[in-house]
Amino acid sequence: MRLHRCAGRVSILLLMLLLLVSPAWAGTVVRVSGWAGTDVAIVEELITRFVEPAVKPYGIEVRYEPIAEDFSTYLFNSLSAGTAPDLFYVDIFWAEPLMAAGQLEPLDAYLQRSEALSKEDIIPSLLEAFTYQGKVYGIPKDFNTLAVFYNKDIFDEAGVPYPDESDTWASFTDKLRRVSRPQEGIYGIALAPEFARFGAFAYAAGFRLFDERGRSDLSQPGFVEAFEWYTGLVDEGIGILPADIGQSWGGGAFATERVATAIEGAWILGFLRDQAPNLPYGATLLPRHAGTGQRGNFIYTVSWSINAASRVKEEAFRVLEALTSPEAQQWVLQRGLALPSRQALLDDPYFKQATAEAQANLVVFRGASEGNVQPFKFGRYGGDWMTPVNEALSAVMTGELTPQQALADAQRRLDELTGR
Amino acid sequence: MKEGRTPGLRRPMLSERVQEAVAAYLFLAPFLFSLVVFFAYAFARTLYFSFTQYDLFSAPTWVGLRNYVALLTEPRFLTALQNSITFAVVVTAAQTVFALMLALALNQKLRGITFFRAAYYMPSVASSVVITLIFIWLYQRAGAINYLLTVALVYRRVLVAWVVGTVVLQSALVLYERGRGRPASPLEPSLLVTAMLLAGAASAALWVAGVVTPVEGVQPVAIPWLNTRRRWPGGPVSAPIPLEAIMLLNTWTTAPTFMLLYLAGLQEIPRELYEAASVDGASAWQQFRHITLPQLRHVTFLVVTLGLIGTLQMFDQVAVIGDQAPLESVITLAYYVYSNVFPGGAVPRVGQAAAAAMTLALLTLVVVLIQRKVVER
Repeated sequence: MRLHRCAGRVSILLLMLLLLVSPAWAGTVVRVSGWAGTDVAIVEELITRFVEPAVKPYGIEVRYEPIAEDFSTYLFNSLSAGTAPDLFYVDIFWAEPLMAAGQLEPLDAYLQRSEALSKEDIIPSLLEAFTYQGKVYGIPKDFNTLAVFYNKDIFDEAGVPYPDESDTWASFTDKLRRVSRPQEGIYGIALAPEFARFGAFAYAAGFRLFDERGRSDLSQPGFVEAFEWYTGLVDEGIGILPADIGQSWGGGAFATERVATAIEGAWILGFLRDQAPNLPYGATLLPRHAGTGQRGNFIYTVSWSINAASRVKEEAFRVLEALTSPEAQQWVLQRGLALPSRQALLDDPYFKQATAEAQANLVVFRGASEGNVQPFKFGRYGGDWMTPVNEALSAVMTGELTPQQALADAQRRLDELTGR
Repeated sequence: MKEGRTPGLRRPMLSERVQEAVAAYLFLAPFLFSLVVFFAYAFARTLYFSFTQYDLFSAPTWVGLRNYVALLTEPRFLTALQNSITFAVVVTAAQTVFALMLALALNQKLRGITFFRAAYYMPSVASSVVITLIFIWLYQRAGAINYLLTVALVYRRVLVAWVVGTVVLQSALVLYERGRGRPASPLEPSLLVTAMLLAGAASAALWVAGVVTPVEGVQPVAIPWLNTRRRWPGGPVSAPIPLEAIMLLNTWTTAPTFMLLYLAGLQEIPRELYEAASVDGASAWQQFRHITLPQLRHVTFLVVTLGLIGTLQMFDQVAVIGDQAPLESVITLAYYVYSNVFPGGAVPRVGQAAAAAMTLALLTLVVVLIQRKVVER
């Protein structure tokens, strides 16, 4: 009797174990991961629409594991522990440490063999962002740049022409000045005290992140000029920090209809669709610097990359192909979700639509190729490079320090960081 | 158990002790397991990493004491160390005093006191992340705190009238009661409430009559509570304002837990002590000073020890406030450790972080040992 019960328990245990490992028998599982939020619905639909039909014949099963918080922390941790997924997002901002540490699989050999995807399909500047020492470590899934988003109502009410492509900093400032009514709580522009926005203007004025010796020099005339202009807008009462009207970012401030313009990327579009569906907005390229005649911009991009330690790399590449196929990217573009990284889609009829979203996407798209455009990354220093600059911006914009004091302070701390 | 057994059936002493020990260890096993895996092993690994250069990916290389030496010259680490110590000292002191005061107030035998005990305990139950988010909202430049300050400035004349009225009325009432031969202390609560209500009515009347007017043209208060590097009150005993904002928030959320410990302690004090003291004519203050405080000594030791450990390791509130405050104004040792293991966009500096973590552990140990010595004396 007792023996019987024991045997029964063992068989139940065995059955449970079988159930646990059974997906492995159904085919090869490729674990795919990225951050959560709005991406979950997009990737899930991409997988069911495009990936599964393409990889099922090869006996590949895709398991999608979105990570709710701190994706990069999760990824670094799981790569170190050997439990990372096979295919995952890599943001340009933290790509370099992973590429340098050999955690990502070089894709050149796969691309040569592939019939569905080649290097030439992808916009060169985006591919360049994920190239390290001559090897490609990720296929950009999409990208973003900054643009000026403006609230048409506020400009119409004030009888001021909308910002446009021909604006210089001076004419742009003038338009903002004319729509600002600080005493009524209406401001010309929402300005975050962050290099992630301000940097575009520093680049326009000719700022170089590092000189030949690897030192960052904040006393470059272009940087100082951009810094004084950017912080001066707040000083004059034309600009407002998003935090000062209870918002954490420029898009949030823009949705309150208390600011006439905001400097954001195409990520603002979905947010506006949800939060301010009746806000009449337009978008245009960032203003030019009068001296250099150039605009500046950042490229923000994210790739699909393969775990160098994965046991199913060939299968993972098949999934990658399907995720970045022309059909998949076309679908993403037409849904107004993100900008594609395939060159062939540049002439897509989507961009010729008259909707505000399509036109804003086109502006963001063009931002990648106009003027001094730099990828959003800071060599091996990562976000540490930005911290002193962000704090300098914030100290000046809240009236704590003069630009000279703040910049001297930031320079000292950058020198400590870079050891120069 | 023992009493129930007849001496003849009693097993040898040793065997029983062994049995007891085995049972005890069996019950302790799950805890011991987690202690060994998550504390002892993790501690040993951290100690090892603190002598290496390690980026999470390639194998660690031995560098001896270099990480510790580097810490001594790292400005951000020194700031974090200073912030952590200030935070621990101020918050531990504040939350201990505040917890004791709360416990004394809630130890009264009043109808409905359990409601207040529950209500005051709420901040400790709520998630610290949620509380921090609410405080970020309160602390904004256009947030609730600055708004209330603005309102106070606008109506400052009315407020002054009310305060003056209260003082005058209270003095009058106390003198009146004493004149009639009743003992009334200057802050007699029942009289104070009456005085405040009457003064409130009077100042409202003055306001309506136009005698006392709100101040016009007051600029909205726009103190940056979080987004600032300013320090207060200045001089040798100053801390960054954002850190002080976190101190307030942290004291408010942790004091209720310690209040509970104090409440338990208060209810254990024998009533006879107070009765005897009353008979001897001891005042309320004397009773508190010579009965309550000494009787609560062991609770205070526990509260201060837990407080020091908790405050030295404070992390979540700094992490949640994030970019809302300049890093150097809020960074603590625990956050320094985290930000070096996961520096956004840069190569992880695990060795340096491990050295900082060991420093934090050592600091905690030293502080607790010192505190124990002081209490034992």
